[in-house]
Amino acid sequence: MEKGWILPYLKENAKLFSLVILLGIVTVFSAAFLMFTSGFLISKAATRPENLLLIYVPIVAVRTFGILRAVSRYSEKLLGHHIILKVLSHMRTRLYETIEPRILKEGARIKTGDLLGVMAEDIEYLQDVYVKTIFPSVIGIFLYAVTIGLLGSFSWAFAGLMAIYGAILVVLFPLVSLLVTRKNVAKLKSCRSSHYSTLTDGVVGMGDWLFSRHQKSFIKNVEKEDAEICKKERHRSSFFSYRNFAAQCVVAIMVLSMLVWAGNQSLDGQISHTLIAAFVLILFPLTEAFLPLSDAVSELPGYEDSLTRLKEVSLEKPSEEEHIMKSVWKNSHLRCEKVSYQTKEGQWILKNINLDLPQGTKLAIIGPSGSGKTTLLKLIKGITSPSEGRVTIDGVVTSQFKGDNLSSVLNQQPHLFNTSVLNNIRLGKPSASDEEVYEAAKSVQLHDFIVSLPEGYQTSMHEAGMRFSGGERQRIALARILLQDTPVVLLDEPTVGLDPRTEQALLSTIFRVLEKNTIVWVTHHLVGMKSMDDIAFMQDGEIVMEGKHDELLLASDRYRRLYELDTPFQIENFHVTDKMIG
Amino acid sequence: MGEILFQIKDVKKVLLILTVLTVLQGTAIILQARWLAEAVTRLFNGETLQRILIVVFCFLAAFIIRHLIKLIMTRVIDRFAAQTTSSLKKEAVSKLFALGPRYSAKSGTGNLVTLLIDGVKQFRLYLELFLPKLTGMLFIAPLVFVYVWTLDVTSAIILSLTLPILIGFLILLGLAAKKKADKQWHTHRVLSNHFVDSLRGLETLKYLGLSGKHAGSMKEVSEKYRKSTMSTLRVAFLSSFALDFFTMLGIATVAVFLGLRLVEGEISLLPALTILILSPEFFLPVRELGNDYHATLDGQEAGRRLLDMIQTPDFKEESGAIPEWSDKDLLTVQHLSVNHDIERKALQNVSFSIKGKQKVGIIGESGSGKSTLIDVLGGFLEGSEGRIELSGQELTHLKHDEWQKQLFYIPQHPHLFHDTLANNIRFYNLDASLQEVERAAEAAGLRKVIDQLPNGLNELIGEGGRELSGGQAQRIALARAFLEDRSILLLDEPTAQLDVETEYEIKKKILPLLEDKLVFIATHRLHWMMDMDLILLLEKGKLVEVGSHEELMSRRGSYYQMVCLQVEGVS
Repeated sequence: MEKGWILPYLKENAKLFSLVILLGIVTVFSAAFLMFTSGFLISKAATRPENLLLIYVPIVAVRTFGILRAVSRYSEKLLGHHIILKVLSHMRTRLYETIEPRILKEGARIKTGDLLGVMAEDIEYLQDVYVKTIFPSVIGIFLYAVTIGLLGSFSWAFAGLMAIYGAILVVLFPLVSLLVTRKNVAKLKSCRSSHYSTLTDGVVGMGDWLFSRHQKSFIKNVEKEDAEICKKERHRSSFFSYRNFAAQCVVAIMVLSMLVWAGNQSLDGQISHTLIAAFVLILFPLTEAFLPLSDAVSELPGYEDSLTRLKEVSLEKPSEEEHIMKSVWKNSHLRCEKVSYQTKEGQWILKNINLDLPQGTKLAIIGPSGSGKTTLLKLIKGITSPSEGRVTIDGVVTSQFKGDNLSSVLNQQPHLFNTSVLNNIRLGKPSASDEEVYEAAKSVQLHDFIVSLPEGYQTSMHEAGMRFSGGERQRIALARILLQDTPVVLLDEPTVGLDPRTEQALLSTIFRVLEKNTIVWVTHHLVGMKSMDDIAFMQDGEIVMEGKHDELLLASDRYRRLYELDTPFQIENFHVTDKMIG
Repeated sequence: MGEILFQIKDVKKVLLILTVLTVLQGTAIILQARWLAEAVTRLFNGETLQRILIVVFCFLAAFIIRHLIKLIMTRVIDRFAAQTTSSLKKEAVSKLFALGPRYSAKSGTGNLVTLLIDGVKQFRLYLELFLPKLTGMLFIAPLVFVYVWTLDVTSAIILSLTLPILIGFLILLGLAAKKKADKQWHTHRVLSNHFVDSLRGLETLKYLGLSGKHAGSMKEVSEKYRKSTMSTLRVAFLSSFALDFFTMLGIATVAVFLGLRLVEGEISLLPALTILILSPEFFLPVRELGNDYHATLDGQEAGRRLLDMIQTPDFKEESGAIPEWSDKDLLTVQHLSVNHDIERKALQNVSFSIKGKQKVGIIGESGSGKSTLIDVLGGFLEGSEGRIELSGQELTHLKHDEWQKQLFYIPQHPHLFHDTLANNIRFYNLDASLQEVERAAEAAGLRKVIDQLPNGLNELIGEGGRELSGGQAQRIALARAFLEDRSILLLDEPTAQLDVETEYEIKKKILPLLEDKLVFIATHRLHWMMDMDLILLLEKGKLVEVGSHEELMSRRGSYYQMVCLQVEGVS
């Protein structure tokens, strides 16, 4: 099942790739023979032949090769990019399909959106493998073989000599480059990444640098790291320049040998003297095709990281579960029976959770971070199954559903896609008509606002990113959930970061439009608790306190204390001040 | 093309050196062609190798000198580019500090770091590629042209005719490609971002139950993207096609004309061959410039953005002595206004005064100007109008060394540096002993956290290190404050993001820290107000109410309404 990220695509598109390489070879050959025939043409003309027809053929050939080179290079570039873009498009879909089943699962290494962004870049980067490494290498090596073969038809001994010189350019230099750059690239990369984190620390923690008055030492540190990187980079580039110079010296020796050989051959009458110039001139465009090989190979160590990252993803095995599809829901009685959850590392995230929520019940879950709230939501959503006990809706285990129409989630930062507002809302129900979308937007009190925008529902989310506030973004996501129309709605701290007025307005809307739905609401503070049917406090994976707002207020000091923090003036001070005023 | 080039220090000097080297290189190129042609011609005429040995070695010398000069040029330009970009980067970082955290927040942290790392790299590449190519185009092509002219006027004319056609087409097609790219830019961008957007939104798609079906749409968009890219590339490649086509045609035409005139006996083999060898060299600089065109464009853009940043005006630091804040000191802010942009004022005509060590709560909804006021008090921001009087001194803003060194600032999301926990705590106070750090950690309630970490205080945190929760980060910031006892404290929403139990715990730890200090807390959490001596209530950038909690409650104004709203709760 496991397959690589480069070879399979080479095999799949073998024919087209060969065509690209063929075109590349034609390009170099045309350039070479342009010089060859020009040299021949001039030498031949210098003999002042009586018959102009004798130089007519080379004249035509010169023009043909000139045009052929331009045309084949253009087609090579176009076709090459055509295939690469096709391969990239495949890779993207494949990456998506690989990641999709694993997202949200426990133990999945892919968590943050940022890392996913990095992998998207990795794929873009891999196109260079073809353009910068594979194509030039294959073309260079092929040309090397053909050139030596052709020379061999004149003299095997000389061809052998040129083969040795050529091998320096085609084999030795690339090999040395690879060895040198591999070591250098690893060092550079670690320097760069530590520089990156230094600068991030500087920019994000700027206030601290300024107030602690250490900014001078920070700048000095940046300078030092920068100098270190510069030194390494210059080390690398000086290696390249000296190598290129050495390669040119090899070319000079090749030209010299060619002069000697061709001169002697012509003196011996083995070849016509009109071919001397041709043989010498053809060397320049040919060696030009050998030189990029070293650079092509030097790129290799750079791809390793991208490939490793992509390979790692492919290796993670998704756990497959059976799925039942059921579409009509009359009753959504939600039950958690003795639910416990253990991570792969053996840590118990949830211990013996029991919940019984008839349809329409509103439950709030409160607890510090790490208490298991989010895991509980995932179990209810059916993304993972509990290690012990069962989570059921209407008697059916939730993890057995594909989860399309059973429960929906409104979380802290619902992703709004870079498309129109209309499409973003419609994601809740792709078959929804425009009217249905408008209805949903009206319910969440956004319709008027959206219509007031210059482009109305067609406004792009990306551009509107600035225009929509946190509360409005949540409302768009809420409209999506309304269209989804599921009996159970899970709220995962949807109001974090909103100011009290916005928060209360949003919560009022949520509870108004979701009146009939069962709601499980994970929250970080006690605003809105009065209207909940049940409040559960979680700590270290257990429910440590449960009840209605009024009951808890009477029974628990802890609850009262926390409630005071949220509404500080209600319980004592408000009456005091009221009295004071009155 | 290179207007930013001349804003760089020493660029003229380097251009001069490059010019000299380029002229030498051009001479070597001509000599190399000349001697090679001579060697071939004499072999052609049947001379033996021994007799032309000198010419061959001359050719070799010229050839090697040519590439040696190229090597020297690369070294010179590499060094110059590295030095230039290093000092540019240093300037940019210093400037960033001068502009303060507000500028970074506005520009986006990610953007700035990318500009400082990748942008600087691109700009360096631009210098490395562009400068030698510029001198190459300016000097090598004319040198070769003049030499060819002395040998054969017809060939020189052919070459000189081809070059403008070549450049003309390059510009024409470049423009066409740009126009096409501009036209498609919008859809292009949407499509190219679609994949990243889909991956980032995968969690949401999964919750919506759409993630499985989305693969199909992904394939479709990806194909669309490919097609639109190809149609742009087709035009873009056309320019390199034109470049190739006319170069090759130029060389071919020169060769054919030379051939015909050789037959007529109007020219001899030696000059003809020299011209033939030289004509590719004539086109080389232009072709190279065309090949790296995109890299140079990116680099130029990066350079412009860097220079823009460096030239962004910041405000000068105030000077003069400010004594340590005491009970007698008075801070008066008069008619302060801050404009974020032309239409919107972040603060409008705000006036208040604070005497001595008071606890001041700044309260208001998001967008009311709380954070802006904190930024002004921290000296990150200059008001567009108004003045500030500090212990009898008149200032226009508070970017003042002696003021800032009395301040301690705890933001909403304290930044954790990529370092050990202990070093994060002693960030302000590098000499603090381990005992002192432990005491501060204890006071901030970090004991439990430290005990849970495998390496305790030596655990690596921050980016790439162990992840800590928002509450834990807040406690580390508190520990810093305990360790570095300063007389003025600024807090910006210290607890709003925390769950209510953590908030309760942390508030208990913060309260003792506020004693005997001048404190400003910007927050929308009303419970803090009970502990404040003075409350500033902001509404849409205006200061609407000032007073203690009791005074404001009895006034039954905006503050009273805010309290009522919280009491009523969710309906």
